[in-house]
Amino acid sequence: MEDNQEEVLEIFTQDGVLITTAPATYIHYLNNVGTLLIVEYPNSNLTRCIEWKPLDLTIDSDVQDQEWTVVSTVERRRTYSGSLPVDVNRSKHLKINMNDIKSFRVSHKNQKLTFRDGKGDNVCSFIFQHGNCDGLIAVLKGILKTIVSRRDKHVYCILDDIKNPERQQLDKSFAELNLFQEQSSAYVWKFVKNFPNRPYEATMEAFSKITDIVYRGPEHRLMDSEVHNILHRSLEAIENNTTTHSHDEYELIAHVPRLPALKEYPRGRPLSFEQWKALQDSEGQVEDVEAVKLVIFRGGISSNVRKEVWKYLLDYYRWKCSHAEQQNLIKQRNEEYFIMKLQWRSMTKIQEDNFTDYRERKSLIEKDVNRTDRTLDYFAGDNNPNLQVLYDILMTYAMYNFDLGYVQGMSDLLSPILYLMNNEVEAFWCFVGFMNKVSSNFDMDQAGMKEQLQHLHTLTAFYDPEFANYLYKHDSANMFFCFRWLLVWFKRELSQQDVMRLWEVLWTDLPCQNFHLLICVAILDTEKNILMENNYGFTEILKHINDLSGNIDISTVISKAEGMYNQIVDAEHLTDAVRLIIGLPILGNTSIVDSKEASPDISDLTTNGDTDEVSYENALTHSFL
Amino acid sequence: MSAGPYNYSYIFKYIIIGDMGVGKSCLLHQFTEKKFMSDCPHTIGVEFGTRIIEVAGQKIKLQIWDTAGQERFRAVTRSYYRGAAGALMVYDITRRSTYNHLSSWLTDTRNLTNPSTVIFLIGNKCDLEGQRDVTYEEAKQFADENGLMFVEASAKTGQNVEEAFLETARKIYQSIQDGRLDLNAAESGVQHKPSQPGRNTLSSDQQFNKDNCAC
Repeated sequence: MEDNQEEVLEIFTQDGVLITTAPATYIHYLNNVGTLLIVEYPNSNLTRCIEWKPLDLTIDSDVQDQEWTVVSTVERRRTYSGSLPVDVNRSKHLKINMNDIKSFRVSHKNQKLTFRDGKGDNVCSFIFQHGNCDGLIAVLKGILKTIVSRRDKHVYCILDDIKNPERQQLDKSFAELNLFQEQSSAYVWKFVKNFPNRPYEATMEAFSKITDIVYRGPEHRLMDSEVHNILHRSLEAIENNTTTHSHDEYELIAHVPRLPALKEYPRGRPLSFEQWKALQDSEGQVEDVEAVKLVIFRGGISSNVRKEVWKYLLDYYRWKCSHAEQQNLIKQRNEEYFIMKLQWRSMTKIQEDNFTDYRERKSLIEKDVNRTDRTLDYFAGDNNPNLQVLYDILMTYAMYNFDLGYVQGMSDLLSPILYLMNNEVEAFWCFVGFMNKVSSNFDMDQAGMKEQLQHLHTLTAFYDPEFANYLYKHDSANMFFCFRWLLVWFKRELSQQDVMRLWEVLWTDLPCQNFHLLICVAILDTEKNILMENNYGFTEILKHINDLSGNIDISTVISKAEGMYNQIVDAEHLTDAVRLIIGLPILGNTSIVDSKEASPDISDLTTNGDTDEVSYENALTHSFL
Repeated sequence: MSAGPYNYSYIFKYIIIGDMGVGKSCLLHQFTEKKFMSDCPHTIGVEFGTRIIEVAGQKIKLQIWDTAGQERFRAVTRSYYRGAAGALMVYDITRRSTYNHLSSWLTDTRNLTNPSTVIFLIGNKCDLEGQRDVTYEEAKQFADENGLMFVEASAKTGQNVEEAFLETARKIYQSIQDGRLDLNAAESGVQHKPSQPGRNTLSSDQQFNKDNCAC
């Protein structure tokens, strides 16, 4: 657009907006934070645009600087209107004509906004890192005619501008048919609803109505906007989501819920020392925790600052503490540790002889310490002092959490932490923080593991019903083959460096809770062709998955899992069962898509929350006995 | 991977069970790799080992499932018993508690496998004679009373390891020939590979059938 000399009216601006999806031309802006604007160009036919500019275009060339300025200089500025001189850099802005946007979807507790075009494809999405997008929505509702989608209450459909001549033409031709005389929207809805179930009858019924009108001549010429919208959307939905099955006389069109396309989410650079320092104020407090977590989620943490940041991620240090408060806390934690350590160190021989539980616990820890990561230099060799520290921490943890005690797998979780901290007390408290996140993995009755395996099954069934069905038919719906992945968070599958990277990403709890389950889904999705083509059964699947150890490229997997996450949250048929797992608010309705009666062969594959749970329960009872 | 995919006539599924730290993974490693692995990491969930052996001129692939030993994980490891033709039940001769728990391991095995599953009791770490906590005699008596095969072995030196695995296979093979183990049963723990033209597996079928008739 030739806008350099133009007058620009900024209707709305908001800072701290991360761009996560963009048209190809603007791909270089992806995952950057900047300002989102709604602008109007009064001189060119009142064209309205969605614009987005990176935080500071003047230092745009110096991307390194930009990353830390992004998070350190953000102000919570929000302007609702104002005419400004044209920014010379405006031509570099991401710019999307409002007329190309047909709907937008709000998600993530109103922190994410996705604009879609007429085909239902995502044009661009933004994450509002400060506050939410409520202000913007209010503005959009003010300048556009919108209605809430019937299928998804988070989607707002933009009704076409009546001034658009092309649209007027089309409306007119529809209106002349005058299909919709009395309760027109109810009629159209009935037609759309009946179509997948009784395509032949529904169509004939509708056509007979048209014939009626054609013969009798039009009386009313208005079609209300709701009807127009229903028709528009239903056609869209049918185009996007139908498969056809040839029958003898006619084609049966069945509605198969389909996920949006998998998009690429390139990984970012790790949180650098400079970025980290810039995020702390002079007192050492971290103001914008979410911004830190976002950088970590995108790219992990550089090794030179990892040790410090882990202490925050694992709740040893507090984000909002000054240096002085922190020192105080450290002192307290130090004392606390040594008190607990003394408790078991001061156990006498007689006490020990009379305390079977304690003796057994001690012997378990001894056994496992001697076989934890012995191939790593840090723990290698006879009489390695680090083994003693590993032992002391686990023994002290057993005193700290006597009910849980020691369970196999804990030494795996501690090993990378101790290696990084190289300090007994710090490693202990960080380990405590990690255990607080995963302690249900070690439940006496394994309830936590069973629940996770079930959730994994639910996600797999939602993401890929065909694969879930394959697993079900091959005695593997219990997902036991992922047990090791989940118990020790891929510790046995990855190198020390990779596992540290994955853990810090998962500790951010971004983009959703239980993201580690999506990591599983992502790896399984990569492997499913091998499993299915070879017709692997329970044993072969288990063996194949075990043998992946050492062959997983974790960056690719994280990036894929993020893409899958976005596919899932953007899915129109997103179920409450899935929402619950990834921490989205539940809607209280079941699957919107109701295609089971229409086509039994597909209903076999599609699983909603209920049937999914039943099949999983069956698999479990079969296995756990 | 020297053997081709069908370079054997049978697959026998084994499961190795017993308390944690008794040396289950080390026994497996000694058997498949003929090496002692002193820093063998503890098993999470289940791991696998395979080796092709020969019994009565027949190539048999042993598919061995090695399980986590801690009580806490029994709920999970129980699901792996299904369809095992052989169960190696291991205790540590230097730790009495691991011997005392055998009855509960045996109960699980009996309940979760089929009657023809061969159960072999192994007293591991017999190289540590000085630290012995369980005598050979009492373990032998326990084995006899419960109809188990029994040896003391050492994953470290390799003593009796090969024997335990092979003897179990011989016993299973014998069960097949006696007709006690029904190959068609879904959970027999034995798979019979279809013979390929020109291979001598055909003779085993004939022998198998003949023996069946003789019963």
